[in-house]
Amino acid sequence: MRTFGELCLLTAFVAAGYSASACLFAQHSRWARLERSGIGAAILSSLALTGTLVALGWSLIVKDFELEYVAHYTNRTLPWHYTLSALWVGQAGSLLLWTWLLTLLSIVFLFTAPQSGPIRTGSLGILLANVCFLTAIMVFAADPMKASLAPRSEGLGLSPLLQHPSMLIHPPIVFLAYAAWTVPFALATSALIFGDQNGQWTHAARPWAIFAWIVLAAGLLLGADWAYQELGWGGYWGWDPVENGSLIPWLTGTALVHGLMAWRHRGCLKRMTVSLALLTFGLCNFATFLTRSGIFSSVHAFSQSPIGWMFLGLMAVLLLGGGALVVYRWRELAAERPIRSIWAREALVLFSVFLLLLLTSVVLVGTLYTPLSTLLVGRIVQIGPAFYNNVLMPIGLLLLITTAVVPLLRWGTAPRKSGQVALLICGLLAAVGGAGAAAAFGLRHPVAIIVATATVLVVLTTAAGVLLDIRRRSTMRLLPATWSALRSNRRQYAGYFVHLGFACVAIGVTGSSLGTRRYDVDLNEGEVIEWAGRRIEAVRLVQREEEDKLVAEFELRVSCSGSGPVVLKPARHFYVAQDQWTTEVATHSTWAGDFYTILHAGLGEGRVAITLMDIPLMRFIWLGGWLAAGGAMVAAWPTRAKQTRQGGQLGDEQSSAVPAADRRRLAA
Amino acid sequence: MLPPAKLAVGAAVMALATAYLAYLGASTSWRYYVHVDECAQTKEAFIGQRLRVSGRISAETLIVRADRSRATFTLEGQQARLPVSCLGPLPDNLAEDMEVVVEGILQSNGELRGDKVLTRCASKYEADGERLSGQ
Repeated sequence: MRTFGELCLLTAFVAAGYSASACLFAQHSRWARLERSGIGAAILSSLALTGTLVALGWSLIVKDFELEYVAHYTNRTLPWHYTLSALWVGQAGSLLLWTWLLTLLSIVFLFTAPQSGPIRTGSLGILLANVCFLTAIMVFAADPMKASLAPRSEGLGLSPLLQHPSMLIHPPIVFLAYAAWTVPFALATSALIFGDQNGQWTHAARPWAIFAWIVLAAGLLLGADWAYQELGWGGYWGWDPVENGSLIPWLTGTALVHGLMAWRHRGCLKRMTVSLALLTFGLCNFATFLTRSGIFSSVHAFSQSPIGWMFLGLMAVLLLGGGALVVYRWRELAAERPIRSIWAREALVLFSVFLLLLLTSVVLVGTLYTPLSTLLVGRIVQIGPAFYNNVLMPIGLLLLITTAVVPLLRWGTAPRKSGQVALLICGLLAAVGGAGAAAAFGLRHPVAIIVATATVLVVLTTAAGVLLDIRRRSTMRLLPATWSALRSNRRQYAGYFVHLGFACVAIGVTGSSLGTRRYDVDLNEGEVIEWAGRRIEAVRLVQREEEDKLVAEFELRVSCSGSGPVVLKPARHFYVAQDQWTTEVATHSTWAGDFYTILHAGLGEGRVAITLMDIPLMRFIWLGGWLAAGGAMVAAWPTRAKQTRQGGQLGDEQSSAVPAADRRRLAA
Repeated sequence: MLPPAKLAVGAAVMALATAYLAYLGASTSWRYYVHVDECAQTKEAFIGQRLRVSGRISAETLIVRADRSRATFTLEGQQARLPVSCLGPLPDNLAEDMEVVVEGILQSNGELRGDKVLTRCASKYEADGERLSGQ
C-alpha cells in the first residue's frame, strides 16, 4: 500500500506540473490539443491524489505502523472515527487532504465554470500550479507515506485534546476553505494575465468566494466551539496566532465578497476587488506559514520545518507578481462610474471594506509583533488581548451600524425621500428599543446598549427595506407584490439575513464578554449552594474505568426558577496511553446564557474543587453563525443570469417578475 | 467636498483613531518574553515587571495543590534555574520535564510569582520524536 501511495503521489506531482504548464501555455499558443491534454492531466492528478489519500486512509484504519505517519498519530485503542481524523492532524496528512480538496475543487470548477476560453483554462492552469506546489512539498519535504525508521507494534496515539467531535470536522473544513479561496484568486490572476475587459471573472468568482466565506466561517466557529468545550476555560477565542491566521483571510474574504458586489452592480472598486482576491489567497498561505514555520516558540509546539517558509515564499511571490499585474492593468481597472454620494451603497461598501482592512491590519500587526519585536525593540515582546479588543470594539460597532443602514440605501445614488424617512423612523424606534432593552435587561455598559440599539436598527431597517420594495410594486396586490419582491431580490435579502446573523454574533460576543461571572468553590457530596439565581446540588462523585481512560465525574443537579432540574456531569479523564489528564466541561445552555461547570480535582472523601460560570447569551454566537451561513448559501445559489452593462450578471434582480410599469419606476 | 474626498477624510480619521486605540491596548498589555537563562542573567532589570518566562520544569520539583489552584516548581534552562509559584487554573497536561511559559511578576527574592501557565499545545503538526524513538 505504501508503494502504491508513493507512486500515486509522484504521478499527481508530475501530472499537476504538466497540466499547469499546458493550460497556461495553450492560452498563448492557441493550441487546442495542448489545452485538452492539460485538462486530462488535471483529471489524472486528481485521481492520483485520491489514490494516495485512500492508501493513507487504509493504512490508518488497519493500523499499519510501518508508516511513520500512522505510528505518530494512532494506536490500537483509538476509536475508528478518531483514527480517520488522524488523517488530517499531522503535517503531511493535512497537506495531502488540502491538496486533494484543491484538485477536487479544480475539477468541479472545470465542469461548472460558466464560459470556456482563456479565463477558464488559465484559471485551471493556476489552480494546478498550486496543486503542483503542494505535491512538491509532500514529495520533497513532508511525505505522508514515509516508512518508519524501525518496526514497531504500537503507535503513539492521538492527543486526547484532539479527541473531540469538533476536531473531526474543523481541520478539513478549514482546508476546504483555503482550497476554495484559491478559485477566486485563480480567476482574478487569469483575468489580469489574459485580460478581461468585461469583468467576466467576477461572475465566476462570486459563488466560489461566498462558498469559501461560508466554509471558513464554519471552520472558525467549530474551532471556537472546540476551545469552549474542550479547553475548559470558559472562553472561545484567545487571539492565538493560529486563530488569527484563519481570521485574517476571512476578514479580507468578507471584503472581497462586498467588492465583487460593487464591481458587478456599479463597475467600481475594481482595483480593490482584484487586489482583495489576490490578498485573501496570499493570507491563506500566510496562515499556513504561521502554523508550520516554528516562529511562535511561546505556546504552540509547531514543527521547526522549512515548510512554513516555503508558504511564506509563495505568498511573497504571489503578492509581488499580483501587484505587478494590477499595476500593468491599472487603466483597465479604472471605475466605470465614480461614487456620487457618500450615502450610495457603493460608498458604504468602500467604507466597510476599509474597516475590515483596518481590523485585518491590527490582527496582522498583533500576530507578527512577537517575532518582529526583536528587530524593533531588541527583545521579544508579546502583547495581550487588550490590544485586539480595544480596536475590535469600535470597528465592530461601526460595522454593525453600517450593516444596519444598508437595506435603505441604493446603488449609485443617495436614498429616496421614502428611504430617508424610513431611516429616520427606524433610527428613532431603535433608540427607543435600545433604551427599553437596557431597562428590561439591566444593561449598564455603553457597548451593550449600543449593540442592543444597533441590533434593533438592523431588524427594523431590514423590515423597512423589504416593505418599501413591496410598496414600489404598486400595480400588484399585496401577496403577488411580496412574492415578486422576494423573487427578484433574493440575493439582496439573503445578504440582509447574513447581516442579521452578524448582529446575533455581536449580541453573543458582547453578552459573553461583558457579563460572564465565575465562582470557584469546593463542594462535598450532598451539599447544596445557591449561585447566579440557581440552586446547585452536589449529588455524587463517580469514578469508572473505560477502555482507553479513567473517568472521574461529579454529578450536579442544577435548578433555576421556572424550570425543572438539570443534571450536569463535569469530569476529568485520564488517558493511560498518553499519560495525560483532560478536563471535560458540562454545560446547560439556554437563550439567556450558558451555565458552564469545570471539575478541577478531587480533594478526597467526596470533596471536589469545581468552577461554576454563568456566561450570558452564548447561544446567540452559534445562532448568528447558522443565520449567516444560511443567508450566504441562499445568496450563492445559482440563478438564471442576465447580462449587465458591466459584463457581470445581476442574476434575477430586476428580472421580468417585476411588471413593466414598476420596472420603469424602479429604474427611475 | 466631493464624495471620494469625504470618504478619504473619514478613512484617515478612522485609521488614526484605530492606531491610537491599538497603541493604548498594546501599552497596557505588553510584556517581555524571555528564556529562563536570560531572565536569570538580567534579573535586576526585570524585578517588579510583568514577564513571560519560558523554560523546562525541573524533575522532582513540581508540587500541585490538591484542588489544582496552585503549583510550585523550578524552571530550568541551559545554565540557570528559577523558582516559580503559580496561582490560578493550571493546564491539564502540566508535568515535570515539560516546556512551559509562565506569565507573572518577578519578585525581589528571585521568585517568579505567576498567574498563568501555558503548556505547549497538543497541536497538530507536532512531531514528538523523543517519545517515538524512546519506544
